[in-house]
Amino acid sequence: MSYLDSKIPPVREHRHPETSLAHGSRWRGGHAAGACPIASRADRSFTQGSICPLLPALGIMLSLPDTVVLMHGSVGCGSCAAGNNVNVRGGLSSRGAPVDDVVWLSTALDEMNVINGGDARLREALVECDRVYRPKVILAVSGCLPGVIGDDIDAAAAAVRDEVKARILPVHCEGFKSRFMATAYDVVYHAVGRHLMPDPASVGPRDPRRVNVMNVGSMGLADERELARLAEALGLEANFFPVFADPDSFARAAEAALSISVCPTHDDYFLTHLEESYGVPHVIRHMPIGIANSGRWLRDLGDAVGRAAEAGKIAEKEEGLLRDALEPFLPAFRGRRAFVSAGEYRSLATASLLQELGFEVCGIRSFHFDSYAEVELEKLSRARECSGQGTAGRRAGGAGRGSAAQGGDGDGFVFNVANVQPFEEANLLRRLKPDVFLGHMHGNSTAARMGIPCQVIYNSGYGYLGYRGAYDLARRLHRKMANPGFYRRLGQFGKLPYRESWYGEDPFSRIRGGEEDGS
Amino acid sequence: MRSAYLERPRWSCALEGALAAAGSMPGVVPVLHAGPGCAGNFAWTANGASGLQVTGQCLGLSVPATNLQENEVVFGGTDRLREELLETARIMEGDTLFVLTGCLPEVIGDDARSLADELSTPERPVLFASVPGFSGDSYAGYGEVLKSIAADGVRRLRTKRDLANVWGVPPGLDPFWRGNLEGIRGLLALLGIRANLLFGPASDPKALRRAGAAAANIVVSGLYGAEAAGIFRDLHGIPSVPAPLPYGAAASERFLKAAGRAFGLPPSRMRRAIQTAGRAHYAALEPAVDLLNDMESQRHAAVIGDANHAPALSAFISEELGWVPELTVIVNDLDARGREALEGYWEATGTPRPANLVYASDRRSILEAARGVWPEAPQEGYRDPKRPAIVLGSSLDRALASAIGAGHLSVSYPVANRLVLTRGYTGYRGGLALTEDLVSACIGGR
Ligand code: SF4
Repeated sequence: MSYLDSKIPPVREHRHPETSLAHGSRWRGGHAAGACPIASRADRSFTQGSICPLLPALGIMLSLPDTVVLMHGSVGCGSCAAGNNVNVRGGLSSRGAPVDDVVWLSTALDEMNVINGGDARLREALVECDRVYRPKVILAVSGCLPGVIGDDIDAAAAAVRDEVKARILPVHCEGFKSRFMATAYDVVYHAVGRHLMPDPASVGPRDPRRVNVMNVGSMGLADERELARLAEALGLEANFFPVFADPDSFARAAEAALSISVCPTHDDYFLTHLEESYGVPHVIRHMPIGIANSGRWLRDLGDAVGRAAEAGKIAEKEEGLLRDALEPFLPAFRGRRAFVSAGEYRSLATASLLQELGFEVCGIRSFHFDSYAEVELEKLSRARECSGQGTAGRRAGGAGRGSAAQGGDGDGFVFNVANVQPFEEANLLRRLKPDVFLGHMHGNSTAARMGIPCQVIYNSGYGYLGYRGAYDLARRLHRKMANPGFYRRLGQFGKLPYRESWYGEDPFSRIRGGEEDGS
Repeated sequence: MRSAYLERPRWSCALEGALAAAGSMPGVVPVLHAGPGCAGNFAWTANGASGLQVTGQCLGLSVPATNLQENEVVFGGTDRLREELLETARIMEGDTLFVLTGCLPEVIGDDARSLADELSTPERPVLFASVPGFSGDSYAGYGEVLKSIAADGVRRLRTKRDLANVWGVPPGLDPFWRGNLEGIRGLLALLGIRANLLFGPASDPKALRRAGAAAANIVVSGLYGAEAAGIFRDLHGIPSVPAPLPYGAAASERFLKAAGRAFGLPPSRMRRAIQTAGRAHYAALEPAVDLLNDMESQRHAAVIGDANHAPALSAFISEELGWVPELTVIVNDLDARGREALEGYWEATGTPRPANLVYASDRRSILEAARGVWPEAPQEGYRDPKRPAIVLGSSLDRALASAIGAGHLSVSYPVANRLVLTRGYTGYRGGLALTEDLVSACIGGR
C-alpha cells in the first residue's frame, strides 16, 4: 500500500527513521559517513525555538495561484503568512504576473472551540470562503491545536465536498507531530498527490521532451531559468512545480518522460509517487549547487534520456566558461575560512561549492540529517583530501561531546545538526572564527552580530543553482567580502543573549542520546 | 456573531504579543512552553509585518523554547519545562525568566504556573503568563504580560513623585513602538516627569523593579494595558491615567495636560511647556510652509489601523495638516464592550472621534466602505471627487489604494515595505516625522 492511500501522511521520523536533529562532531577528511551514526533519538537538554513543518509547507502552499489557504488553528498559527506574502509578491513580480497579497484565512479557534471542537467552524469556513473567493483549490491546513482537541479535517472536508466548488486539500501540519521541517514537503505532496493528480487510467500520452523539476521554496525565477536552460540544451522542457504552479497544471507531471530532483530530501516522497503510480521514472541524487554537482546533475539528466555524451560535452563547456568567469574572484577567496548553515542538502552542497572556490570550510550546520546526505559528506571529504585540505583520520570524541571544537587549519570541519539552535552556533563561531558565514534566511543574525560577514543562501529570488547560480553566489560573496564594513561595525558593538560562561563550555554539551544510546 | 474565519488577520496570537513584549524587556529572558514552530512562525511573521524588525536580544529564533513533541503531549511537558528553565538560567544572560505558555501545554493541562512559582527565587524571579493562541490575539498577549508584571513582577516601593509607568504601546505590533515610547518620554520630560519604560532600548534591567515606585500609570491606549493598569491601582494603589497616543502637536498638548494634572502640577506649568514646545515645533515646520501651501498638499484620506493608530492618525491629519479624513477603519475584532471602552477613552482624553468610523479588517468590507467615498463609476458633472486621496494603512492596504486610485503609506501593522528603527510619531518631533513621511509619500514623482 502506498503512503498516499492513507489520509494522514507519515512523518519523517517513521519514513526515514535514521533522520536526526541533534548532532555535533568534528569531521575529518576521508571519513566515511557510515562510520558516523547519527541517531534520531538524539536530543537536547536546552533548546531554542525552531521551525515546524507548517512553516515551509506554507511557503509552498501560499505561492499557488487561485488558491486559498485556510489555516485551521489558533489565530497565530500561520501568521507567518505575513512573511511568506513578501516572497510571493516578489515571485509574482519577477514572473511578470500581477502582484497581489496571498489569500490566507484563519479559523482563529477560541476557548469555546477548544472545548466543543472546531470541526463545525471549519466546515462553515470552507463553504463560506469557497463562496467569497471562488478559488480552484482550498488548502485546509491544520496546525497543532486541531491535532490536540481531536478535530478531523479530512472528515470536515468530506462533509462539505458537495457544497463546495473548489477542490479541498486537507493538509496535516500539526507541529508537534514531527521535529523535522522536511516533513513539510511530504505533507504538501501528500495532499497534492491525493487530490490534484489525475486518475492513472486517464493520463494522456507521455511527452518525451518533458522533464519534471520540483522547485523548492527558495527557487526564484533566476534558478528556474538556469535549470530550464540546461534542460533545454538537452532538448528537454522543464516542468516546474509545485511552487507558483497553477493547481490545474500538476496533472502535467504525470505525462512527463522523467523527473529529476533538485534536492533529494525535499523531493523523494513525490517522485516516488510519480514513478509508482504513473510510471514516470526519476533521478534523485544531486543538488545542482556547485560546479561538480551541477555537472553531475546535468550528466544524470542526459544519461536518463539517452544523451549522456551530449550532456558531458555541455557540462564541460559550461564548466570552462564558468571557471574563466570565476577567475577574478578567486584570489579573494583562497584559503579564507567559511562556515555554512542551512537545510541538509543546501548546506552540504554549498560547502562543496565553497571548496571549489578555494575556501576552507571550517564548519557546517544543517537543519537535519538523513541517509540522503551521506553521499554529500563523502564528496566533501574526498574533495578535501584531493586538495590537501584536512587530514584523514577518525573523528574525535563520542558524539562530539567532550571534544570542544577548536579552530585551526587542516583540522577538518565541524559538523553540527540542529533545527536552528543559534546558541550552539554562537559557541562554534567564537571558536572557529570564520572569515565568512553563509546561512539560511533568518539564520544569519548570530554571525552578523559577532562581526562576521554573512551571505544569505536561502532566500527566494536570488540565483544559487547551476553554473549561473554558482557565478552569481560567487559574485555576491566577493562583493560582500570586499566590503565587510557593516558587519565589522556591528561586531564591535553587537550583543548576543548568552552568558560569557557558555562560550567556555563544549558547544555540543547539551546534546544527549545520539550514537551511544541510540542507533 | 463571529464570522467563520478571519481574512489575513492583522495580528498574531496572544503568545506572539506576549513574546514580543517580554522579549523586549532588558534583563528578561522569555521561555516559550509551546509547540516547536511557534518561535519560527513569529520570526517569519515579523519579517512581513514589523518594519523589518525580526531579531532582538532574545527574539527571533534565539528565544529558549521547549518545542513540545508528541511525547510531551501524551505524557505532559512540565519535566521538559523544568529542565529548560534550569538550563536557560545557565546559558542565557538575564536575571528574570518569563514563562509563556502556548496552545499545547494549555490544552494538555501542564501546570506551568506552579513550576514557575517553585523555581522563582528573589535573585532570579520566574514570571509566568498563560497566553495560548486560542485565548486571544497579540494585543491580548501584550496585556497578559503587563498583567503578570502588575500582579507578580512588582512590589510596591516608596513612591517616587516624578516617576510614571507608560502602558499601551505594544512592541512589534506597533512597528513604531521604540520611537513612540521615546517620544512619550520626551514629552513627560518637558514637565519634569521621568518615564519608566519597560520595553526596548530606552529601558534598563532595573525598570521592572522601579515600576513599583511610580506615582502613576499613564495609559496611551483605550484598550491595551488598561486592565493591567487596573491591577496596579487595585494591588499597589498606583492610579491610572488615560492619555491620548500623542501623535503630533495637538495631541501632545492634550497629553501634557492630562499627565500634568495627574501629577498635580499647576496649569501654568503645562501652559508654559506647551508654549515653548509649540514655538519650536512651528519654527521647524516654517521653512516648508511655502511649498506645503503652493503645491496643494492637502489630501483626502482613508485611515486604516488598529484601535491605537487609526484614531491617532485620523486626528493628526485633520488637526495638524488640515487634511480631510474621509474614512477611518479600525481593524480590531471588537465586541460592543470593546467599542464602548474605546469611545469612553476618546471622551476622557479629548481625542476627536474619527470621522466616518468603520470596524472591519477584510479587504472586501474595507473596499466597500471606501466606495462610499470614492465610487467606482466615473463621476459626471459637478461632484466633489474627494481627490487627491491617500490611504494611510498597512502594507495590506496597497490593493485598496490602487483600487480607488489613491497614494499609500504603510503606517500601521503589518508594515512590510518600510524599515522602521527609531522612527516614531509621538510628541512634537514625531509629528514632524509624520509630516515628512506623509508629504514625501505624496510627492515621490516630483
Ligand atoms: S503548528 Fe504548532 S508549533 Fe507550528 S506554529 Fe502552529 S502551534 Fe506553533
